[in-house]
Amino acid sequence: MIALDEIFIETSLETFLEEARPRLKIIFSRYRIPPDDTEDIVQQALLALLYRLGSVRDPQAWLIGTVKNKCLLYWRDQRRRLYDSVDSTVLEWIARPSSPEQEDDDVRRDLDAVIETLPNRCRALLSLRYGLGYEPPEVAARLGYSASSMSKITTRCIAMLTRQLLVAGLGRKKI
Amino acid sequence: MTTNTDHPSREVLERFLLAQLPASESRRVLRHLLAGCQDCQTNAGAAWKSTQPGAMSLPLDPALDARYDEVLDRVFQRVERVERVLARERSQARELLAALEPHPIQRQLLMLRNSAKFRSRALCEQLIEASQERGFKDPERALELADLAIEISRSLPEETHGADPPTQLESRAWAQSANAQRILGNHDGAERCFETAEELLAESQGVGIFDEARLYDLKASLRRDQRRWTEALELHDRVIGIYQCLGQRHLLGRAYAQKATVISEVGDFASSISLLRRALELLDPKEEPRMFLAARHNLIWALCESERYREAFALLFHTRPFYLQAGDRMNLLRMRWLEGQVAAGLGRSEQAEVAFLEVRRAFGELSLDFDGALVSLDLAVLLARQGRSTEVQRIAEEVLASFVARSIHREAIVAITLLKQAADQQRAEVDLVRQVSSFLRRSRSNPELAFERGSGLEVPPRAAS
Repeated sequence: MIALDEIFIETSLETFLEEARPRLKIIFSRYRIPPDDTEDIVQQALLALLYRLGSVRDPQAWLIGTVKNKCLLYWRDQRRRLYDSVDSTVLEWIARPSSPEQEDDDVRRDLDAVIETLPNRCRALLSLRYGLGYEPPEVAARLGYSASSMSKITTRCIAMLTRQLLVAGLGRKKI
Repeated sequence: MTTNTDHPSREVLERFLLAQLPASESRRVLRHLLAGCQDCQTNAGAAWKSTQPGAMSLPLDPALDARYDEVLDRVFQRVERVERVLARERSQARELLAALEPHPIQRQLLMLRNSAKFRSRALCEQLIEASQERGFKDPERALELADLAIEISRSLPEETHGADPPTQLESRAWAQSANAQRILGNHDGAERCFETAEELLAESQGVGIFDEARLYDLKASLRRDQRRWTEALELHDRVIGIYQCLGQRHLLGRAYAQKATVISEVGDFASSISLLRRALELLDPKEEPRMFLAARHNLIWALCESERYREAFALLFHTRPFYLQAGDRMNLLRMRWLEGQVAAGLGRSEQAEVAFLEVRRAFGELSLDFDGALVSLDLAVLLARQGRSTEVQRIAEEVLASFVARSIHREAIVAITLLKQAADQQRAEVDLVRQVSSFLRRSRSNPELAFERGSGLEVPPRAAS
C-alpha cells in the first residue's frame, strides 16, 4: 500500500483520474444520480482527496468509498425533501379554512385510514400531529419523548406514512 | 394538472418523489394517493423503486454514459488546476513553517496575526500534521502547534478553491489540541476542546466522514484514558465503520488495534486477541512499522495473560526482527520482558529469571520505577512458585521502599504493603503476588483504583500475627 502523494509522484493525477472514471460512472448509474447532480458530488470528493494528501492511504478506495457515501447522502436529502413536502402538504391541507367541508372530511378520513395501517407509535404521533394539531413539544410531552429526539421520531413516522402511500398501497377503493 | 379523478402522469409522480413539484400540484398528487387510487399507487411504487440505489441495470445506456463523461471531463480539468495551485501553496507553506519554527510561541502568534502571508490553508494543515507527529514525543509543543493552527483557521477566507469550509479545518485543529491536552493529562481541557471541535464539525456542511473518523479516533483515546470503556468502544466502532466504508485497510487495522487495547483493559483477552489478529492482517508494516510492532507486542502480551505461552513463544520468535529493526532501547527492553514472561510460562525458570533481572536493572538505570516494580513482581511470581520466600520478601521490601521514596499513589503502596506483610509471614503465595501485580498494572492509568482485598487473599490483621 502506498500513500497518495507517492501515487501522484509515481503516476500523475491525470492517470489516477482516468483510472477512477469507469468506476465513478458505474457508481453514479447504480445510485441513479442524475448527471447534472454528479458534478458537485465528484468535485467535492476529489477536492477533499487533494486536501488530505498526507493522511489517505489507498486513494482509489478512499475516492470510491467517499463518492458512494455522498450518493447515499444525496438520496437521504432527496427523501427528506419528499417527507417534508408530504408533511407540509398535509398540514397545509388540514389547516386550510377555505376548503369545502365535504372535501375536508374526505381528506381526514383517507388520512386516518392510512395512519391506521402504521405501527402504534407512529399512529399515536401522527394522530396528535395531524388530527389534533399538536406541536412537536406537546406531542413529546404527551407521548413521553424527549424534546431533542422529537424531530428524528417525527421524520421516521412521516417517512413510514409516505412509504405506505407510495409503496405498500392501501388496498382500498379504486377511483 | 391532476384532480381526484385525474391520474397524474408517470413524470409527475417522479417529480413528486423528488419533491420537485410546486406546492399546489404536490397537494393534488398527495390527495389523489390518499384517496387510494391503486393504479397510481402501483405507478408511484414502481417510480419509488426505480429511484432506489442498485436499480439501474448495466451496461450503461450510451447516452447516459456520454453525459457522465461530460461532467467528469469538466470536473477533472478543474481538479487538475487546483492540484497545481495546491502544490505551489504547499511548497510556500513549508517555507513559512520554517520561518515560524525558530521563534517562541508568543512571537509566533504575533507573526500570524500581523502578517497576511501566514493566513494559508496549507500552512494550517501542515501545523495540524506537525502537532499530530509531535504527539507523545513533545506534547507541549504539539499543543502549541495545534493552537497556531486554530489561530490560522479562524483567519482563512470562506472559500479556497472549493476546499472544505475553514470551520472544518478549525475543527481538526481543535481536535488535535484536545489530543495534546489529553496526553498532558488535562482531561477537562481536552473535553472542552472536543466539544468545540464537534460543534464546528456539525456546522461544516457536507463534511467528509473521514474527518469524523479522525475526530472520533482521538476522542476514543480520551474516553479510554478516562476509563469510560463503553463510550470508548462505541467511538472505536464508529471509526471502524467509516474506515470500512472508505476501504482504508491500514487505518482500519489501526482502529482494530486501538479497540483491542480498550478491550484488554477490561480484561477480555480472548476478544482482544481476535481483534489484534484482524488488525495485523490489515496493518502495513512498511506504512507504520511502530504501529505494526505495537500490535504484535500487544498480541504476545495478551496471549501470555491468557496463559497461551506456546503461541506467544512462536509469535515472539517471528516478531524479534521487528523489535531489532525498531532498535530503540525501550522496545528492546519490552521484548526482553516478554521473553521472560514466555519463558516463565513455559516452565523455563532460569531463562525467565535472567531476563527479568536484566530488564529490572535496565529500568532502574532509566529511573522507570513503576516498570521496574512490575518486572520485580513478575520475578516474585517466579520465585514464589519455587518456594523462594526469602527472596520474595526482599523484593516486596525493595518495591515498597521505592514506592514510598517516589510517592507513588496510595493504593499501590497499600497493595505492596499487604504483599510485604504476607511475605514477612512466609505467606506470599503465587496467587497473591499475581493479584498485586495485576492490580499495579491496572492502577497505573487509574491511581483512584482501590486494591480489592478479596478472593480469600487478605493478609490477617496485624493483631493476629
